Amino acid sequence: MEKQELFQEAIDAILNCDPTAAVDIATKAIQFGVNPAEMLDQGFAAGIREMGELFGSGQAFLPQLILAAQTMQAATDILNVEIKKSGEVQNRGKMVFATVAGDVHDIGKGIVVSMLGTQGIEIIDLGRDVPIDTIIEAAVEAKADIIGTSALLTTTMVQQQKLEEELKKRGIRENFKTIIGGAPCTQRWADKIGADAYAEDAAEAVEKVVAMLSARG
Amino acid sequence: MAEIRTRMGDGSVVHMQPDEVRRELENGVADAAKKAKIEPLTDEEITRLYDMIADPKKVVSVEPGNELVLSYDSMPMKLNRVGIPIERPNLMKVFERGFGADMLECAYVHYSIKPLKVNLSEEVAFFTESLYGSIAPMVYGAMPNMGLYTKPDGPCENPSELLPLGKIKEAQEAQMEAAQYLHDDIMLTASAMYEAGADGFNFDTTASTGDAEFYAVLTAVEKLVAKYPEIGIEVGLSGDFIFGFHGEVEYKGKRLAGMFPHNQLKMVEEAGASICGPVVTTNSNRSYAWNLARAITMTKECSRVAKIPIHANVGMGVGGVPMCVTTPIDCVSRSSTAMAEIGKADGL
Repeated sequence: MEKQELFQEAIDAILNCDPTAAVDIATKAIQFGVNPAEMLDQGFAAGIREMGELFGSGQAFLPQLILAAQTMQAATDILNVEIKKSGEVQNRGKMVFATVAGDVHDIGKGIVVSMLGTQGIEIIDLGRDVPIDTIIEAAVEAKADIIGTSALLTTTMVQQQKLEEELKKRGIRENFKTIIGGAPCTQRWADKIGADAYAEDAAEAVEKVVAMLSARG
Repeated sequence: MAEIRTRMGDGSVVHMQPDEVRRELENGVADAAKKAKIEPLTDEEITRLYDMIADPKKVVSVEPGNELVLSYDSMPMKLNRVGIPIERPNLMKVFERGFGADMLECAYVHYSIKPLKVNLSEEVAFFTESLYGSIAPMVYGAMPNMGLYTKPDGPCENPSELLPLGKIKEAQEAQMEAAQYLHDDIMLTASAMYEAGADGFNFDTTASTGDAEFYAVLTAVEKLVAKYPEIGIEVGLSGDFIFGFHGEVEYKGKRLAGMFPHNQLKMVEEAGASICGPVVTTNSNRSYAWNLARAITMTKECSRVAKIPIHANVGMGVGGVPMCVTTPIDCVSRSSTAMAEIGKADGL
C-alpha cells in the first residue's frame, strides 16, 4: 500500500471523527513499515489542520473538533509506542494554560487545550479568570516549559503584560517560554509585552508550542 | 504615490501604499464572498471603499440624504462606563436630544437576561420613568448571555468543561437545558417590559454562546410576537457565523450552526422580529481595509435578502472597526458611511 494512500486515509479518519478507523490505519501503517512520526505529521495531524480550517470557516463545529481530537489521540497512542521503540520519541514537555483574571471566556482555550493534548504535551489547564500569581505558582510547581494565556477582552489582555512583568520581577522569566492568544491579541501585542509567541488560532498554537518545545532541545 | 494613513484591526496606525490598500480591500471582499458563499462587491464599490479609506480627512460621512437611523445598544452604559454618572431617565434624553438616537434602549449595567429577573420590578420602575421623558421609541435591552445558566454561574452543567472531556452528548444536553431557562426568562422579562409600556425589546449580542442560545432567542421571539402582535423586537447578533457549540440545533428545519449573517437574518425574520442587527467581527491581525471590505460585503448581502430593516453593528471589534478600548473615529465614521452607501443598511 502506498504511503500517500495511508496518509489520505488518516486524514479522512480525522475528518470523519472515526477513532476505530484511525486505530486501524495507525496499525496498518506500522505493519507496512511507515515511519510513525511521519504518519502522525502528514496523516493524522494534517487531518486535524484541515478540521481546524473547516471549523474556522463555520463548516465544522465544536463537537466535531473535539471528536477529531479524540480520534487523533487514539491514533497517537498507537503510533507513540512505535516512536518510543525507535528511539525517536521527543520529550514534548509541560505547559500551564489559563484564561487571565477578569476574563471568563474559555471556549477558545478549551479548543487549544484539546488540540495540544493530541501532541503529547502535558497540559495543566488552570481554567478561566485565573490571577497571575496562581499561574506563576502553578508553572513553578509543575516545572512547566511554557505558560500559555488567553484573553478575549481588550480590558483583560493587559494581564498578559502583567504576567511578563511579574515573571521578570521574580527573576524567573528565562525559566519559561510564553505564548498568548485571544481575539484582541496580535503579534504586535506579543512583541510589545515581550511574549515569546502569539497564535491566532488553535492550529497555530499547536505549531508554535511544538516548535518552542523542539527548540528547547 | 503618497502613503495612506490607515489602521490595523487592533487600532494601531499604519501607512500603506495605495495599491496595498486596494489589494487588502479585494482580499477582504474575496474572503467574505468565499466564506459566506455570497456575491463579492463590484469593482466600483471597491473603488468607493478605497476612496473612503484614502480620504485624508479624519472623519468621513455620507452624502445628504443617505443618513441612517441610529439605534444604540447598551446605551446607558456608554456614558456611565466613562465616569459620567447620569441617571437613566435623563440619559435617555441625552441620547435622544444630544446624540441623535432614533430609537432608545434602556438597560441595566449587567445587561443580561438572567440577572434582570432579579431586579425586574426596579427596572420596570426606572423604565417607565424613562418613558415619560422621551419621544423616540424606547425598548428595553439585554444580552441573552446563556453562559450565566451554566456552572459556576447557574444550575446547568458547563459544556466548556464537558466538551474537552469528550462528553459531547452531556454538553449538548446541558446547552439545551440552559436554552430552556433562557427562553423562560426572556418570556418573563420581555413580557414585563412590554406590559410596562416598552415599544419592544432588543436582544443584543445574540448567539454569543452559540447555536443553542440563538435557538432560545428565536423561539422566545416567536412566542413574544404571538403573545403581543404589536411588539417591536430587534435581534442583534454576535458574529459572522453562528458558533456551533452544540452543532446540531435546528430552527424551522435549518441547522443554526455555521450560519453567516444573511442566513442568520432569515431566521430572525422567520421568528417574527422587526429589526435585525447583523455583525461582522473584526480580525485584529488584519488591516482595517481588509476588515471593512469583509464587513461591507456581508452586510450588503443581508440588505439584499432582507424583508425587515437591517441595523448593522458598527463599534468596537465589529463592522470593520478595530478592536481596541477607544474606537478610532476615523474608522467608525468610514465604516458607518460604507454601511449606508455600499452596505445599504437601514440603520446602525
